[in-house]
Amino acid sequence: MKHTLKSIFSICLILSLFFANAQETAQKKEADVSKTAGVIPDNGNSKMVKLTAAKMTDTIVVPVKTNRYGLRVGVDLFKLTRALYDKDYKGIEFTGDYRLTKKYYLAAELGNENKTTDDERLNFTTKGSYLKAGFDYNAYENWLDMENIISIGFRYGFSTFSQELNNYKIYNSNPYFGETAAIVSGEKFNGLSAHWLEVVAGVKAKVFNNVFMGFSLRLNTLISNKKPDNFDNLYIPGFNRTYNGSFGVGFNYTVSYFIPIYKKKLKPEEATTGNKK
Amino acid sequence: MKKTFLFLFALAFAFSSCEKDDICDANTPTTPRLVISFYDINNSSIPKTVTNLKIIGEGMTDGIIFKGSDLISGTTVSIPLKTDANTSTFRFISNFGNPNPAAVNEDIIKFDYTREDFFVSRACGFKTLFTLDPLTPFTHTDAAVADGKWMQYVAVKKSNIETENETHLEIYF
Repeated sequence: MKHTLKSIFSICLILSLFFANAQETAQKKEADVSKTAGVIPDNGNSKMVKLTAAKMTDTIVVPVKTNRYGLRVGVDLFKLTRALYDKDYKGIEFTGDYRLTKKYYLAAELGNENKTTDDERLNFTTKGSYLKAGFDYNAYENWLDMENIISIGFRYGFSTFSQELNNYKIYNSNPYFGETAAIVSGEKFNGLSAHWLEVVAGVKAKVFNNVFMGFSLRLNTLISNKKPDNFDNLYIPGFNRTYNGSFGVGFNYTVSYFIPIYKKKLKPEEATTGNKK
Repeated sequence: MKKTFLFLFALAFAFSSCEKDDICDANTPTTPRLVISFYDINNSSIPKTVTNLKIIGEGMTDGIIFKGSDLISGTTVSIPLKTDANTSTFRFISNFGNPNPAAVNEDIIKFDYTREDFFVSRACGFKTLFTLDPLTPFTHTDAAVADGKWMQYVAVKKSNIETENETHLEIYF
């Protein structure tokens, strides 16, 4: 089940990236057509081409294309609603991003989690807060005043948390006296921390006005973590579980609101260079 | 730039899948058994072979199975201690099932120890390590049938029971 879910996500992700590529190549072709027409000089069409070029600059100047810059704040609905069906989980995550340039966004997530993991041999509760900061690169070429985002980015994550060992079982490969029952512990390990790196692939689409819906998929790898004595950080808030594979996975489903701060007019040159690229 | 990202992501996904660590590996050192070695009373440096030794824990009916058999013949045996109590008592029956009743002899050893649980892994959970009581690590008595003890001398070699790679108790007979 876990793996099916994982593969579905990965397929969705790859498809979405193909979509982004398709958009770009289409535009490239457009640019190329005008270019080749301009290059051919001797068949008498050159004059006509120049005319269209002049016309093009005219049309660009009249409806000025503007990019809006500002702060987008949101909340992760996946974490928020999980408490409804998973009694062992409480969590919240706020997301934010600030547009730096046409393509780059400063991005951050701030969250808090309280999760009880009930395993075959262990039962423990992890509580803590985390902050992830980094950037997103928007790979999507928007038309006109569209503001959709298909992004890839990096994050640096940091978390401080505590682990509480509720109960555990002793492994005995020679259970002559029978398997012993789980031992209630209640031991608490405070002051733990972890650092990690994340690669994020995400999609954000404008639903109406300044409201965006989006989701992101994350792969993360631990840099360091302060482990408790005689126990381990099997779950880290913000990072997710640390076992089953060398990479952790994360997911969020956000609804966010864009607060416009200023607008930047897109100059025609900029537009053409953008096209050429 | 975008292609690099895409490549990295695809690569990471390829490596992220299906690394099972749900099952405790048999080679992982978990709760150790008490390792007993047998020696000749007349020449303490020579290991001596026991024949058809049956070891039964207190309150149990079956003997401890060691190397696939509950009748132990060899110079060494490993026995599991209780992980939920600080004492374990065992009946050591030498020459079990011998048609000559005079050859069969039963001794009782009660072990006193302290326990500590250590984290191993998610799949294995915890293991228990034992430390034999420094004052009375064991109590050696004869069974109900007063036929004398077949073990002539019992000594603790190592009171910290942490691995099965070493002898913890030596029995001379």
